[in-house]
Amino acid sequence: MTEIGNIALWITLLLSAWTVVVGFVAGRTHRPELARSAERSIFVMWGLLVIAAVALMRALLTHDFNVEYVAAYTSRNLPVFYTWSAFYAGQKGSLLLWALVVSTFGSIALVVNRGKYRELTPYVAATLAIVVLFFTATMVFASNPFERLAFTPPDGRGLNPQLQNPGMVFHPPMLYLGYTSISVPFSFAVAALLSGRLDTGWLHAIRRWTLTSWLFLSCGIVLGMWWAYVELGWGGYWAWDPVENASFLPWLTMTAFLHSVMIQEKRGMLKKWNIGLVVGSFLLSIFGTFLTRSGVISSVHSFSQSNVGWFFLIFLVLAAVLGFGLLAWRWPMLAAETKLESLVSREGSFLFNNLILIVIAFSVFWGTLFPVISEAVRGTKVTVGPPFFNQVNVPLGLMLLLLTGIGPLIAWRKASPENLKRQFLWPVTAMLVTAASLAAVRMTNPWSIVAYALAAFVVGTVLQEFVRGTLARHRLHAEAYPVALLRLVGRNRRRYGGYVVHLGMVMLFAAFAGLAFKSEREVTLKPGQSVDVKDPYGDTFHITHQGVSQYEQLNRFVTAASVDVLRNGKYVGTMKSEKRQHLDSLGRPTFEPSTEVAIWSTAREDLYIVFAGAVQGTEEAVYKIVINPLVWWVWYGGLVLAFGGLITLWPGAQGPTAASRRRAEPAGYVAQVGA
Amino acid sequence: MLRKSAPSLLTLLALAAGGLAAQTPRDSALSAAVRARSSDSLGRLEVPDAAGRPVAAATARDDAALVQAIEHQIRCTCGCNLDVFTCRTTDFTCTTSPAMHQLVLARLDSGLTEAQVLASFQRQYGEMIFMAPPKHGFNWMAYVMPYVGLAVGLGLVTAAARRLIHARAAGTAPAAASGPPPAAGSPEELERLKRELERFEA
Repeated sequence: MTEIGNIALWITLLLSAWTVVVGFVAGRTHRPELARSAERSIFVMWGLLVIAAVALMRALLTHDFNVEYVAAYTSRNLPVFYTWSAFYAGQKGSLLLWALVVSTFGSIALVVNRGKYRELTPYVAATLAIVVLFFTATMVFASNPFERLAFTPPDGRGLNPQLQNPGMVFHPPMLYLGYTSISVPFSFAVAALLSGRLDTGWLHAIRRWTLTSWLFLSCGIVLGMWWAYVELGWGGYWAWDPVENASFLPWLTMTAFLHSVMIQEKRGMLKKWNIGLVVGSFLLSIFGTFLTRSGVISSVHSFSQSNVGWFFLIFLVLAAVLGFGLLAWRWPMLAAETKLESLVSREGSFLFNNLILIVIAFSVFWGTLFPVISEAVRGTKVTVGPPFFNQVNVPLGLMLLLLTGIGPLIAWRKASPENLKRQFLWPVTAMLVTAASLAAVRMTNPWSIVAYALAAFVVGTVLQEFVRGTLARHRLHAEAYPVALLRLVGRNRRRYGGYVVHLGMVMLFAAFAGLAFKSEREVTLKPGQSVDVKDPYGDTFHITHQGVSQYEQLNRFVTAASVDVLRNGKYVGTMKSEKRQHLDSLGRPTFEPSTEVAIWSTAREDLYIVFAGAVQGTEEAVYKIVINPLVWWVWYGGLVLAFGGLITLWPGAQGPTAASRRRAEPAGYVAQVGA
Repeated sequence: MLRKSAPSLLTLLALAAGGLAAQTPRDSALSAAVRARSSDSLGRLEVPDAAGRPVAAATARDDAALVQAIEHQIRCTCGCNLDVFTCRTTDFTCTTSPAMHQLVLARLDSGLTEAQVLASFQRQYGEMIFMAPPKHGFNWMAYVMPYVGLAVGLGLVTAAARRLIHARAAGTAPAAASGPPPAAGSPEELERLKRELERFEA
């Protein structure tokens, strides 16, 4: 079966090369039979990559350890759930997944837009084929998942224990889906530039794709944070590791695009900027993988460095030349259709919102690459870690939070003083009351006070929009309040879904601000001994060590340390932190022992306990105890954010605005409501 | 383990994962060791190696605020990208961060201040030992460039906006200013509500 998979990869390689040529020729010559050939080739590529994926999955599930990839990432006693996730645990499998998802999304995009955007689709197919060609060539020539060993080992090495976590099963695919789905907007942008059809038509085709990419990236990032928090045991969820940063970068540029595209749809402005953001987002999605695979930056994720880094670098450069070269070529055709009337307008606030998002992206990019720059300029290596990123990005993040509140309140075109007064009165009042309240309870961290005050401001703006809209419907149509609210949201899911996303962002910011009150300590306890730990609210946790036990469970040998926990004298529960020594199918230890953290989580704080080790092989245990305020808000903020994204994406939501449709009509596109 | 943390769906999937586990041999070498030594080892672990690197008891000094403050500023050189405090209390296979911790304690014991301890680490390892670039010389570029970018961006946006706004010049009427609010239930108020609803639903 693996031979069939290998052959499927080779045919995909040849077919993608054919599609690139035929797609561009079809776009240039307007020959429909060639355009059809290019489109159908994408579907065939998808079928071939499915065959390759099934072949690899079969090899994994049947323990075909003669396949190098299977031997490297699985073992006979690996749970099936994680054997499935081993598909993308390593570089070779993840390249296959990437190619498969690009071809899947490409096929869906072509089916959904069949009969529409006829001048664009051949170029779209050709550009998607370039991406598939790149990934297939990388697999075939440098990192083949079907490569066989000269011998068949009796068992595989198994999966890294830290990857044997549900978060790791869902986090990488979500990120891959986010990264790969950016290929569709990128392909449409390239197609629009090549064909010269630069009105808002191509934006209608990619509207849902950009939202989908953003949603997958958001979920992937939050799931990654959750995995790091519960699995790695260092007490945090974001370490500003280069690869974390690499996933954050396209998220920032996509967020900027989701705002600025509204200006183009509504006012016909920022055309160059929007194409630049789409191209930039695609490049940044490739940049992340380049960082992981090349080893150019030191990262905890750089476990699989190889020569594919060069493939990615070359592709990155070629894609940048293609994207930005075409943008420069079409620059004169991308003039704004209308003029800005005032900076005190929705357009103005979106401009500043874009500016801050891009500056944050730049600061993250700059900080990530600064060690390389410093070494090149001064010959001195430096480390750029969390203290740097927090210092630089906290003020920028707060500016962004402020604009998150301001944007929805200001009218399009030009806001009048009356408009500003009416819209800002209650949110600003909420902000000032919050700041005063926090100062009254002696909160001393100024950044946190500003963050919570701004959070109150944004919540005020969002609630005000919901309340006023609901009241207006209630009074005009005599609808009950819940009905009025649901219909209000249903009539404009994009807008109100966006507000829900803003609420999710506020929850995330509130959680980040809580990090200022994090405390951690290290204690050693004999069975029966206790320690008292105070939280930032003044409550006391009384933690009593119960002892250490050892037992075998599934594919691991567990050393578990237990503590009883009381808060202010009231029993909370027994918490158990573990060291896990994973075993192979013959019972031999594999990998170093890993840690399972004990977490007691509430909306106020997390009590996070790590069994750091046993003293001289006895039951005397060393614990790391962390009080992490407001971490709960990260996970539920992520859920609210995803929920808001789904509202915006939900089928049946209105499509392009009337203004946007008007802008597409002169070009002869069919822009369907609800498309 | 008492874990009330977020997505319960993930917890369920974790349980499902356990249920789907491939059959594990019941008689591993480690289990055999437990059975062999279970009668005479009260208070001692049966298989100490399975609990990771042996650790020494942490004292109040190990956990002192000054020690934490220093160790949060210097990087473990094992390649983990974590600071020394986080690494030594997290990565139980690392032997580098415990050694660096002992260095911190020894240097504090010898009478060095926080700044002197940090300087000694810089002399030993170079600037890369710090978790963030020290603020001097070329390193200022790291801190300043994002804000230079912000200033340039603000300048460009403002300049472009002014030019565009001036290009419209005179004759363009500003957005309509609202007058006093109409009486409740009046036709004027209904009209205002319609306009407002259009704004909300637009």
